[in-house]
Amino acid sequence: MDRYSRQTVLPGVGAEGQARLGSGCAAIVGLGALGSAAADLLVRAGVGHIILIDRDVLELHNLQRQSLYTEQDVADRLPKAEAARRHLSAIDPHARLTVHIADLDAGTALDLLEGADVVVDGTDNYETRYLLNDAAVSTGRPWTYGGVLGSEGTMMAIHPGQTPCLRCLFPDPPPAGSVVTCETMGVWAPTARVIASLEAGAALQFLLGEEPAPGLVHLDTRSGRLVRLESGGPDPDCPACGQGRYDHLEAGASGMAVRPCGGGSVHVSPPGGRMVTGEGGLDLEALARRLSSQVGEVKQNPYLLQFDAEGVRMTVFADGRALMQGTEDRARARSLYARFVGT
Amino acid sequence: MPLLTVHCYAALREAAGARVELELPAGSTAGELKRAVAEQLPDHAALVERSAVAVNRRLVGPTETVGPEDEIALLPPVSGG
Repeated sequence: MDRYSRQTVLPGVGAEGQARLGSGCAAIVGLGALGSAAADLLVRAGVGHIILIDRDVLELHNLQRQSLYTEQDVADRLPKAEAARRHLSAIDPHARLTVHIADLDAGTALDLLEGADVVVDGTDNYETRYLLNDAAVSTGRPWTYGGVLGSEGTMMAIHPGQTPCLRCLFPDPPPAGSVVTCETMGVWAPTARVIASLEAGAALQFLLGEEPAPGLVHLDTRSGRLVRLESGGPDPDCPACGQGRYDHLEAGASGMAVRPCGGGSVHVSPPGGRMVTGEGGLDLEALARRLSSQVGEVKQNPYLLQFDAEGVRMTVFADGRALMQGTEDRARARSLYARFVGT
Repeated sequence: MPLLTVHCYAALREAAGARVELELPAGSTAGELKRAVAEQLPDHAALVERSAVAVNRRLVGPTETVGPEDEIALLPPVSGG
C-alpha cells in the first residue's frame, strides 16, 4: 500500500508532485504551537528534508497548544528541536531531519536556512520574524508568515518579487511594550492549529511549484470570523523587497546579545553562531562539574544543563546560549552569565 | 464631517476595542485615517501607526481614499506563535 495514495490522487500532485515533495527541503523556524503542528503536517506529506530550528527547552505550559510533545519530553528537559526530531522520525523514519538547537539571529540566519526551498514561520516574536523576512527575501526564498494572539491569527504566503513581503505591509514592527503578548493574552490552541495548517499548506504548494492564494488571511476561530484581505503586488517603496535594504539582517550580531523573551525571562546569546559553525561549543560536562561546587544541584542532559542561582533559573545550551527565568534585568543577566557560564 | 467606522484586529482590538468611530473630511486618505485614529487613541498611537489598512477587504497604501461607505480595518502585525 502506497503511503501517499490519498495525496497523490489529488489534482496537481500525482507521482511527480510527490517526488518533488520528497526532494524538497523546508526549514521551520520556531517549534512552538505553529512550528510543531506545521512540522507534523510536512513530514506526513513526505517532504524529504526538514530543518528544525528552535532555541528553547520544553516547559509544561507548552503542552496545552504545541503538537508532538509529551510530559516525558518536559521531564527530560529536552530542547524542542530535539524532541520534535524524535517524534517526527517515529512518524517517518525515512525523513531527513536536521536539528539546530540555536537562535536564529542576524549572524546565524543565512547559515541556518541554507538549502531550504521554503521557510515556515513558527516564531513567537517580531524581531525574529523581521529577520526571517530579510533572510528569505534577500535569498529569494518563499516563506509563510503566521502569527497568533489569543483566538486571532494571521497568515500570508510570501513569494519574494511576486507578492508583498512582510515589510511591504508592515514596514516596521511595533515598539517593544506597545503590544499585548501571548503571556498575557494566551493562545487559543485551535487558532494556532488552523494558522499552522494554512502555513504548511502554502509551503507544500511552494514545493509543488504552485502559487498559494495571495493576500493575508485573518481569522478568529472563537467568534467564527474569517477574512482574506486582497493584496496587490510588492510595494516598490518597501525597504526590503523594493529597495533591497535588509536592515534587520544587516544589524549584525556582534558582542553578547541579551533580549527579553517574555514571562519574566531573558535570552543571552554569546557572540557568533557557535552551533552553526560547529566550533567553540561549551563543554557541558566540565561546566556542570565546576558549577556543582558553586551552586549545588545541576541538572543535565546531552543538550543543556539547568541550575538555580540567586533566584534565577538558568538553562545553558551546548552552543553557549542561556535562558534566564526570574529576571528581566539585562545588566543582571549579563553579570550572571559572566559569573556562572563565563564569557 | 462624514463619520467612519474602523474595525480593529488583534492587539489593537485588545487595546482599543472592536471598533473606533471618527469624523474625517471627505476625500481623506488611508494615511490620514491612521493619523486621526492615532490622535484619538494616544496611548496606542505607536501600534496604530505600524498597522496595515484594509478597505473593503483589500490592503491599501497610504494614498488610497477612504469614505464612510467603506468597510475599513486596521491590522497590526500579529506576533505570537
